[in-house]
Formats: sequence, structure tokens, C-alpha cells
Amino acid sequence: METFKLLAPLAWRNLWRNPRRTIITLFVVSVGLWSILAVASFISAWAQSSRDATLRLLIAQGQIHAVGYMDDPNISNLMPPPDEALVAALDTSGISNWVARLELPGVVQSEYKTLPVSLVGVDPEAERRISSIPSKIVEGRYLDGPEDDSAVIGLNLAKRLKTALGRRVILMVTAEDGWLEERSFDVVGIYDADTAFEDTYIFTGRRPMQAMVGVGDKIAQIAFEVPEDAALAGVVERLRAAAPTLDVREWRKISLIMGAMDATMGGVVFIWMAVMMVMISIGVINTQLMAVFERTHEFGLLRALGFKSRHVLLLVTFESVLLIGLGVLIGMIAGAATVWGLSDGIDLSAFGKALEAFKAGDTLYLEVNPIDYIIFPLAIWALGVVVALWPAYRAQKISPVEAMRQAT
Amino acid sequence: MPALTRRHLIATSAAFLVVPRMALAQDPQAILRAAFNNWRAETSHAVMEMTIRGASGTRSLTMESWTKGRDTALVRFTAPARDAGNATLQAGRRTYVFNPRLNQVIQLPASAMQQSWMGSDFSYNDLTKTEALVNDYTHRLLETRRAGGRNIYVIEAIPKRGKPIVWGKQIVTVRDDYVLLGQQFYDQTGVLVREMVTGKVRNIGGRPYPAEITMSSVATPDQWTRVVTKSAEFDLALPGYLFTRSNLQNPR
Repeated sequence: METFKLLAPLAWRNLWRNPRRTIITLFVVSVGLWSILAVASFISAWAQSSRDATLRLLIAQGQIHAVGYMDDPNISNLMPPPDEALVAALDTSGISNWVARLELPGVVQSEYKTLPVSLVGVDPEAERRISSIPSKIVEGRYLDGPEDDSAVIGLNLAKRLKTALGRRVILMVTAEDGWLEERSFDVVGIYDADTAFEDTYIFTGRRPMQAMVGVGDKIAQIAFEVPEDAALAGVVERLRAAAPTLDVREWRKISLIMGAMDATMGGVVFIWMAVMMVMISIGVINTQLMAVFERTHEFGLLRALGFKSRHVLLLVTFESVLLIGLGVLIGMIAGAATVWGLSDGIDLSAFGKALEAFKAGDTLYLEVNPIDYIIFPLAIWALGVVVALWPAYRAQKISPVEAMRQAT
Repeated sequence: MPALTRRHLIATSAAFLVVPRMALAQDPQAILRAAFNNWRAETSHAVMEMTIRGASGTRSLTMESWTKGRDTALVRFTAPARDAGNATLQAGRRTYVFNPRLNQVIQLPASAMQQSWMGSDFSYNDLTKTEALVNDYTHRLLETRRAGGRNIYVIEAIPKRGKPIVWGKQIVTVRDDYVLLGQQFYDQTGVLVREMVTGKVRNIGGRPYPAEITMSSVATPDQWTRVVTKSAEFDLALPGYLFTRSNLQNPR
């Protein structure tokens, strides 16, 4: 404690003997930390936005299928409409919205092209509450009701088929008897999502589709929405209890890609942190080594006056603790200020099409994640001090006799 | 005025003589049905040469075909060696292909029916869905032309509402001896998409026959498929085993 009282003010004063060098190091540390925090906020906002945007299209937060449908989505793996117990569970267990859909792989044909697609039979009324597709119609209209036997197709698919609003396309879907059932559909609406989605999904009324493929009132899936992602696991459990013979899954197990993206998004921040750590380390080692070499004579004198070698080590380490600690503090303040400054959201709509592939929404809302503000500053501080042990160790090894003899 | 009356009379009686025949001939659906009967008869056996001019060059295939009724057909390729042995069997709604190198018969999934047949401008559907033009369209006789001493009927066919047909319309040209002279496929905005033209009419198997037909897409006019019928017999007795899967794989 005595040593600390002696060394702390000494270390602090030593820092400001060369203000320019200290400020440069502070700058490196604080900009490094600020960029880590900003990148972390941005990536988590982006991940959440793209997740929400994708789930809002069709997947919702979870789905119920017949066992086997996820592996082989064909007509033999459909499920009956939900029974009373399941409807009761869907209506009560913290689910904000749910829809029943029929979805089967098929082929769409125009005068010019034949392409594989997924035909989805929907109940438009319910779909408006759970899916963003009805609001993404750029030409024509969405479906009127569950009896509507027209088709709503994607913008890019319309382009590839060389078809347009008001024309008809032929859809072929394998029916109950194993034959490919063909039907002509009038294109009444064109929606604009991302191109991969547009190329895959064609929507029509659920009942005409059920009649077309001859499956009675069977459906392929129930999609449900939960207000809070945290409540999802519990909801899935309750639905499993209500429908033990069905396959209830949350979105991470439906879209494996999205589940994986969700899990690895955080990794990007750590890669950025590693890069920043190298930069900061170089800065800190450089400054502290310079500071130590410059003061060889001084350390020799201190040793001659009674400083133990560990006191020299402590002194130099203290200097780096203070230096990096101050930088970390500035970095944290700058990071938080950036996030608060952009709290109105970052408008990405100007980049519209270019960012479509990333599937994010048009506006990103950054947030301060408290855990980021504990983990990253502590990590930088600790690692910075550890690398600064090397200059400190060099200082400790200075022999007083040789150092004193050295001309200054 | 007497001169005029006499001429009038002659004209009217001449019209009377012709009208019953014309009335029958001018039902466009009957004309198309007759043209298809002329094409395939009840049974047929033909040797044909198919020339495919593609982006990468020209190749010629020789094939032998047997048809029975409206939905039964077998086509077997005989040359060149590379393609010899490949065969396609249409039996009702099912279509099978045999590949000698795989030594295997595959039933085509219906979704593959729109794919190109042996790399030609014909799809499997073109081979199997010929009847649709007669049954699933409403027909209108646009004009009757005279050329080479014969009447030529130009028939517009528009798909019936709800029928699974992508075309906006087809224009079919048929000669009065029921030789199909041409078939044009238009998209739903009235733009010509693909076209089949009969290049030569010869007497084959005792009937006038479109001996050379060429199919091409408007988008790629330098790529086409030409089928030349070398010889054919019609309404002959064909053995029942001909149209079976075992005969497809191991021809007797």
C-alpha cells in the first residue's frame, strides 16, 4: 500500500512528461475500442434487422409440420388442420399470430420458360397479420380471400418468365394420385422481396390449391409468431405438449442458415477485436519501450537511491495501467456517444438494392449492449497491460551501475 | 338485264354445288382433327431423320417411330452410333425414356415434360400433347387462301378459359387435303414465340404428307430442328407388345 501511494503519483506525472506521445497512445487505444464497440452495435443491429426481415417474410418465429415434411416437403407428408387442443394452445400460449398454409414444390411455366418454384396456398386475411409479403406488392394486388385462385408472384420471377400482371402462368404440382396437376393461374399481383425469395415462392388461395392437388383440408404448415424471442422456447414446449405427433420447431431449426448466421454474427466482432488488439499492442509496446529506453539513466539513479527492481517493474506497469485505462475510458464514452447520436436509426434506403442481398430492413437501430461495454474494455485493458509487461521487464533488468555510467 | 340474270343464275348454281362441301370443310375444329388424323392415322410406322442446328453446331439423328391412337407412341433412334438405342415411349399419361448406356428405363417426372427432347427444339410435351390443339382451344377460320390450285385454311386457335396452356393463341395453316402446313405459337401479348413450318409435302404411305417440318424459336432464328420423314406406312397392324416397357428396353 505504501509502495502504491508512492508509485501512483510518480507514474501519473511520468505519463505527462511527453504529452504528445501519451496523447498518441491514448488516441490509438480509444479509437481502437470505439471502433470495436461501434462495430459490435452495428453488427448486432444488422443481424437483428436482417433476421426480423427474413422471418417476417414467411418463416415467422416457429412452425409446425407433420413429421417428415421438413426432410421431404411433398404431398405425402402433409398434416390435418389443427385439432381443438392445438388451436387452444395456439390461441393462448403467448402466440400473437398464427396461420395455416399449404406449400408444395412445383413448376411454373410461361410462354418462354419453365422454372421450379414453391407454390404456397394461403389465407390472405391471416397472412396480412403475420407476413410482410402483402405489404410488398409493387404491382396489382394481394390475394382477396382464401378462395382467390389467382397468383401473386415475385418481381424477379416475373422478369425471368417474361410474364406480367394480367397474364396467366401454368403451375404444375404433384397431386394426391401421383400425377402432376396443371392449372392456369392469372397473375394479379407482383411482390418485391429479395431475388432468391422472389424466385422461389408463388402465392395463391389455400382452398383452390387444396382442391387442385386433391388433399381435402390438409395443410403443410402452421406458422406462428411470438412477440419476444426469449419466450419462444417455452411456447415451443407448450405446443409440443398440445400436439405430440407433430414436428414443432423454432426458426433456428427451420432455416439452418439463419440459425448459423445468428450464432456466428458475434464472431465477426471478435475478429475485429483481434485486429484492433494487434494495432493497440504495437502502439503501446512502442510507446512504453521508447519511454523505458529514454529513461535508462533515470532508472539507474532510482535503483541507486534504493528502488528495488520490482519497484521499477511496478512503476512502468502502473504507467501503462493508467495510460490504457484512460484510453479505454475515452473509447467507451466515444462508443456510447456514437450509438446515442445515431439513435434515430441509420437510413439504408439509399443503398436499397445493393443491400438487398443482406436482407436487412431499410433502417438500422443501434443499441448499447451493456455486456459489450464490460467485456471489450476489460479485455483491451488487460491485454494492453500484459503486453506492456515486456517494456517493464526490460526496465527492471537495468543494472544501476551500468545505467549511471551511461551518458545522458 | 337478261344477260345479267343468266350470269347470276350460273354463279348461284355454282355456289350451290360447292356449298355443302365447303360447309363441312370450313368447320375449323374438323379441319384440325382431319389434319391430325392425316398426320398419325390410327396407327403409323415411320422412318425419320431429325437435324438439330444448335448454338454449337449441327447434328443429325435417324429414328424409327410407331404410333397407335392418340396417346401411344414409341420412338427409337437408330443412328448415329452415339445416339442409337435411345428410345422414348409414350403410354397414356406416362412417358418413359430408355438410355442404352445406363441400360435403364426411367419414367419421366411430369415436371421434366417441358424439357427438350434429345436436345431438339421439341419438348416431350410437344410429342405427347398434340390433341390439346383440337380439344382445349376454340377455333376460328381466319381466311381461306388459294395457292397452287388448292385451298389453304388459316385457323386461329385460342385456349379455352382455365385450360393449362401458356400460349395466347396459335395460328395453324392446313391445306384442303389436310396436310398441316404450319403452326405458329404466340405469347399472351400477341408476339410470335415459335413457329413450325412444313417445307416439303410429298406422297408418303399413300397420302399427301408434310415430309419436312422445321421448328424454330423467334428469339434464336439460326437454331432450328428439322424432321424429314423418309418413309411411312399408315393404318397397319401393330403387335401389342410394341408399346411395353420391356420392348422399350429390349426391342424384339
